[in-house]
Amino acid sequence: MSFESLLLMRHELLLLLAIVLLLIAEIGTNDSQKSIISPLAIILFALHTIVGFLPLQEGSLFGGMFNTTNIVATMKNILNLGVLIILLQSWKWLNAPENKVKVSEFYIVLFSTLLGMFYMISAGDFLMFYIGLEIATIPLAALAAFNRQENKSAEAGIKLLLSSALSSGILLYGISMIYGTTGSIYFAEISQSITGFEPLQVMAMIFFFSGMAFKISLVPFHLWTADVYEGAPVAITSYLSVISKGAAAFIFMVILFTVFKIFTPVWQDMMTAIAILTMTIGNLFALRQNNLKRYLAFSSIAQAGFILLGIISGTATGMATVVYFILVYIFSNLSAFGVVSIISAYTGKDSISDLNGMYKTNPKLSLALTLALFSLAGIPPVAGFFGKFFLFTAAAEKDFYILVLIALLNTIVSLYYYLMPVKAMFINKSELPIAYFKTDKISQLGLAISIIGMVVIGFASPVYETILSFCFGI
Amino acid sequence: MIEGIDITHILIVSTCMFFIGVYGFLVRRNLITILMATELILNAVSINFVVLNKFLYPNVLQGYMFSVFIIAIAAAEAAVAIAIIINVYRRYRTINVENVHEMKY
Amino acid sequence: MNVIFFYIIAAAILGFSILSVTSRKILRAATFLLFVLISTAALYFLLQVHFLAAVQLMVYAGGIAVLIIFSILLTSNVDFTFEKIDWKKQLFSGLLALGGAAITILTLLQFNFKALIQPQTVTPDIRSFGRAFLSYGDGGFVLPFEVITVLLLAAMVAAIMVAKKSKQ
Repeated sequence: MSFESLLLMRHELLLLLAIVLLLIAEIGTNDSQKSIISPLAIILFALHTIVGFLPLQEGSLFGGMFNTTNIVATMKNILNLGVLIILLQSWKWLNAPENKVKVSEFYIVLFSTLLGMFYMISAGDFLMFYIGLEIATIPLAALAAFNRQENKSAEAGIKLLLSSALSSGILLYGISMIYGTTGSIYFAEISQSITGFEPLQVMAMIFFFSGMAFKISLVPFHLWTADVYEGAPVAITSYLSVISKGAAAFIFMVILFTVFKIFTPVWQDMMTAIAILTMTIGNLFALRQNNLKRYLAFSSIAQAGFILLGIISGTATGMATVVYFILVYIFSNLSAFGVVSIISAYTGKDSISDLNGMYKTNPKLSLALTLALFSLAGIPPVAGFFGKFFLFTAAAEKDFYILVLIALLNTIVSLYYYLMPVKAMFINKSELPIAYFKTDKISQLGLAISIIGMVVIGFASPVYETILSFCFGI
Repeated sequence: MIEGIDITHILIVSTCMFFIGVYGFLVRRNLITILMATELILNAVSINFVVLNKFLYPNVLQGYMFSVFIIAIAAAEAAVAIAIIINVYRRYRTINVENVHEMKY
Repeated sequence: MNVIFFYIIAAAILGFSILSVTSRKILRAATFLLFVLISTAALYFLLQVHFLAAVQLMVYAGGIAVLIIFSILLTSNVDFTFEKIDWKKQLFSGLLALGGAAITILTLLQFNFKALIQPQTVTPDIRSFGRAFLSYGDGGFVLPFEVITVLLLAAMVAAIMVAKKSKQ
């Protein structure tokens, strides 16, 4: 192993460098100089995002514990973009006087969790996968408990931490049985050792499946989601619902495709049932919500059900549609969360009925939220439509017609609740609509990037083509 | 390896411990006792790794290593959990789940 | 001799685990958890994996259990007894756990674990652990060893962040 080969870990090393620089900046500044930390963090992260797009070789390091391929690098870039948008959107909230005292901790912990996700998605063995997963969740729980003023925030943190501890326990039990029956923790060796339907190995896979289902919040393992999303600060809610979920769904898919490829019929059956449950229950509960964050939480549960449609096909097309959907979903969900976070940072309001008559007072924000909800619902001109459409075709290619039919029905149900806030903003009258306010430039920039991404990616077919060329099937 | 003990006996012990932990997680209403139940679960898994490594694959250290890392991660998890639990306590003056606002599993 | 020891340890692990999830005094539950962790360390000693036994004693029994006991003393009234849990909930959770355990154990028994016949060339002593931690080739663990430092740093910063108050 030479020094140059360490450059394969460029994404991780740069992020680690950013963390260390922020630590030094935190130590080296006094209270009056703390205001430079936010811009410093955002600039460092923007540089890291840009450098991430430079072409990267494929290869593996440390005896196969760390692998990087084109699709993994693409996924890391997608996550980087999402985090950059979140950083811009959370600027106003983070620089409020009550949060200012822990700005640098916020950035350090957030970047560490992203680093964990990077190691998780490029893991070549279960140990690195597990460590990455834990780095991505344990500090995140502390971020969910960030607001000291809000009672719900601490509650969200402890709830996230305890449910993720249970799910990692279940996951690890599965991994231990896989280790016991195959004698290895490396993905490549395990997939060679698994040759037939050994009941213990199938059971181990079910344990693994349930553990991951917790992390991606699939029904019936979703009970923690709504409360955590409601209690956590908006920035962390959007991080949990797009970045964490996207990374976990990606590595889940990779492991199912490589390690458990022999058991494909088993996990396809399980996944059909879980996908139907997840979409239906997510949609039905979203109908009844009035709190915007809870509403988006259930909507994100339903969206996770749609992601399963791509995984279930087990083909290269399926993988490409999942990655593409995650990209589209990051942009659309962040647009929605961006508007919600701007509204809550400026006015402190966060329920759907507060939106009544908002078009009259804040037309631009209303239009942005409308576009975002259209994209989440999958209405044609915006990218969300293409994301969902590709997922459906991937599943239909492999003859999952009933599943696709149910997914279509669910899309129609979801139209109703995605249009509820739109109706509130444009049609409902209100005595006291949210007064006009002027948004700061940085939040505007964050919102603009996500909206432009959402609109442009739908029409830029090279994006999908490139992703497809990197993907692999079973 | 222990003479005269079959590996399945130890695995049965650790599996029982695992499910005792799950039972505790579902039944307990106090945040710290829930945390203790998760420690039981992690401990059971770590026994699994050690035993499987010792009995079946004694020439590679992967299982032992996994256990070491599980222990380290459990420590980090407990530290963060307790920091948040103390925070919850200062807000609500209690750490029982019923009294903590709509906190249901 | 070892067989008897093993069964004593197994009984201790199971008995104390059950007590630690059913005890209605929180400090007692924590003490039973401590006993479980110590019994586990004893099991590791019996298996002659001394390094892990030491880690288990130091980190788990010495660190985590003491941390838990501290936080109990900070947050709870020691004499406080939990009220009885709703029997429906107890029954449901008990059945779920029992069912899960039964299915898992039955599946476990079906699998034929074959011990490796080849002679043991690696002894799990500190020397081989140290070498494994720091080697970077095939079968080396330097990457997880380094990455977990990030976790410990992040967890420390996170715990500070949760506890930090603004100055007003």
